[in-house]
Amino acid sequence: MNMTIAWITARGLLGRRRSWLLLPMPLILIGITAIGLGFDAPAVDLADGVLIGLGVAVILPLVSLIVGTGVLGSEIDDGTVVHILTKPIPRSRIILAKLAVAATVSAVTTAVPMFVAAAMVGGVKLGLGFALACAAGAVVYSALFLALSVLTRRPVLLGLLYVVIWEGLLSNVVMGTRTVSVQHYVIEFASELSGSTLFTATVSLGVAAAMAVVLTVAGTWLATQRLRSFSVAGETS
Amino acid sequence: MSEHSVIHDIGYQRYTGPRLGRAYAARSLFEHGVRVAFGLGRSAKAKIFPWIVIGLVTSLAVIVVAVKAQSGEMILTYQDLPSTASVLVMVFLAVVAPELVSRDLRNQTLPLYFSRPIRRSDYALAKLAALTTAVWLLMAGPQLLMFLGSAFSAADTAGVAAEARGMLGGWVIATCYALVFSSLAILIASIASRRAFAAGAIVVVFMITSPVVGLLAVLGKGGALSQIAPMFSPFSLPEGVRSWLFDTSIPIGPYGPLYGLMTVLLVAGCTLLLLLRYRKVSL
Repeated sequence: MNMTIAWITARGLLGRRRSWLLLPMPLILIGITAIGLGFDAPAVDLADGVLIGLGVAVILPLVSLIVGTGVLGSEIDDGTVVHILTKPIPRSRIILAKLAVAATVSAVTTAVPMFVAAAMVGGVKLGLGFALACAAGAVVYSALFLALSVLTRRPVLLGLLYVVIWEGLLSNVVMGTRTVSVQHYVIEFASELSGSTLFTATVSLGVAAAMAVVLTVAGTWLATQRLRSFSVAGETS
Repeated sequence: MSEHSVIHDIGYQRYTGPRLGRAYAARSLFEHGVRVAFGLGRSAKAKIFPWIVIGLVTSLAVIVVAVKAQSGEMILTYQDLPSTASVLVMVFLAVVAPELVSRDLRNQTLPLYFSRPIRRSDYALAKLAALTTAVWLLMAGPQLLMFLGSAFSAADTAGVAAEARGMLGGWVIATCYALVFSSLAILIASIASRRAFAAGAIVVVFMITSPVVGLLAVLGKGGALSQIAPMFSPFSLPEGVRSWLFDTSIPIGPYGPLYGLMTVLLVAGCTLLLLLRYRKVSL
């Protein structure tokens, strides 16, 4: 962890105009929940359709994808990553600083609106459950997408394939893929933390917790290893 | 310095042949756009993502043909294919649309295009047409494959004719999907100069609308709200048009023409905004 790198990364991420485009997503989540409640929608529909269907399945992975691939990916695209790589800083510290910033930003942008929306649906306990689960999910996703941004030249597209095809399409058809799907860990965490009966989890807590830790550590380790032998090239193909 | 300075004739000549002009340039741009969409004439790296999606959509058609050959049952009709493949088509858009427009913005190659005899609107329309064609081919190709598979296992000419009619109906729906999806996607991509960010933005806009529409449809309890709600997501708008034209999809009640109108308005609105975007583009 290097505070200077973390600070520069945070400024690069939030100081641009386009980062404000992340804002509508949390607002839509809260707005839709409010509309649903206004129409007296049953809490079960709201929990399944909005909190999980929109919040956990769409907003959390997409915010984490844009932020997680942006912290290091944009520097690699610009070529400014050279400035960091030529400094005598251990690669692990660079990765940890980037991961900390990405995870914090994604966690705050998703957990806060999820807390508000879930609290509106089922009380503060449900809100806290979803907020903490989303924060945990943001850490795992950030580690994965950060690793992708060092491993490949097209991290966003690979991340999209994972989110849309693996988590979105396959895990609804082939049950086995759920054990490697961050989305289902988040649902399990939320269900365990809130004790709510509005929705059911699909993987066991042990599997979810263990896999979340394994994926986070593996992503961070892979990114560090890859950054050690990183070769800088311009935008190709 | 020599005594006698002379100008040598080293063979520079004026071009006196035919000048191909604006239509030719626009057509070339369109053709190039379609080739870029499939990564033709580019490195193997540029082919990976489009062909992953094409492979997945084609495998859908192959499964349908195989099941039909074995059991005679059509598990997916021609018109079902676009909606089943719609998420894959969205991934294709996220791959191709930024490739078509964002690179030109990022590398600042637009001045080179606009110094040729094409107008700004030609550029925008050629890119839109290229994306629409590519997306249509992505769906129509597998539909043709389904037709060929079914036609060879059909009993008589009447069976083949019925299959052909089915395929043409499927192509109409595919056209509708292609128009709605690509006009929206190219507009989003033309705002972002970074490919990665354009891809993310396209997926965000497409995916955030489906759960919203799903909730509204549940809230309407089969009433007017449930019949109108699907209009507000690019995934379900073409399905509404399909219900209007063929009555084979989601329940939309008497609002069929409204779906048709909404589709026309969406495509026209996105195209207009795209033209305005390139009128104001900074070079």
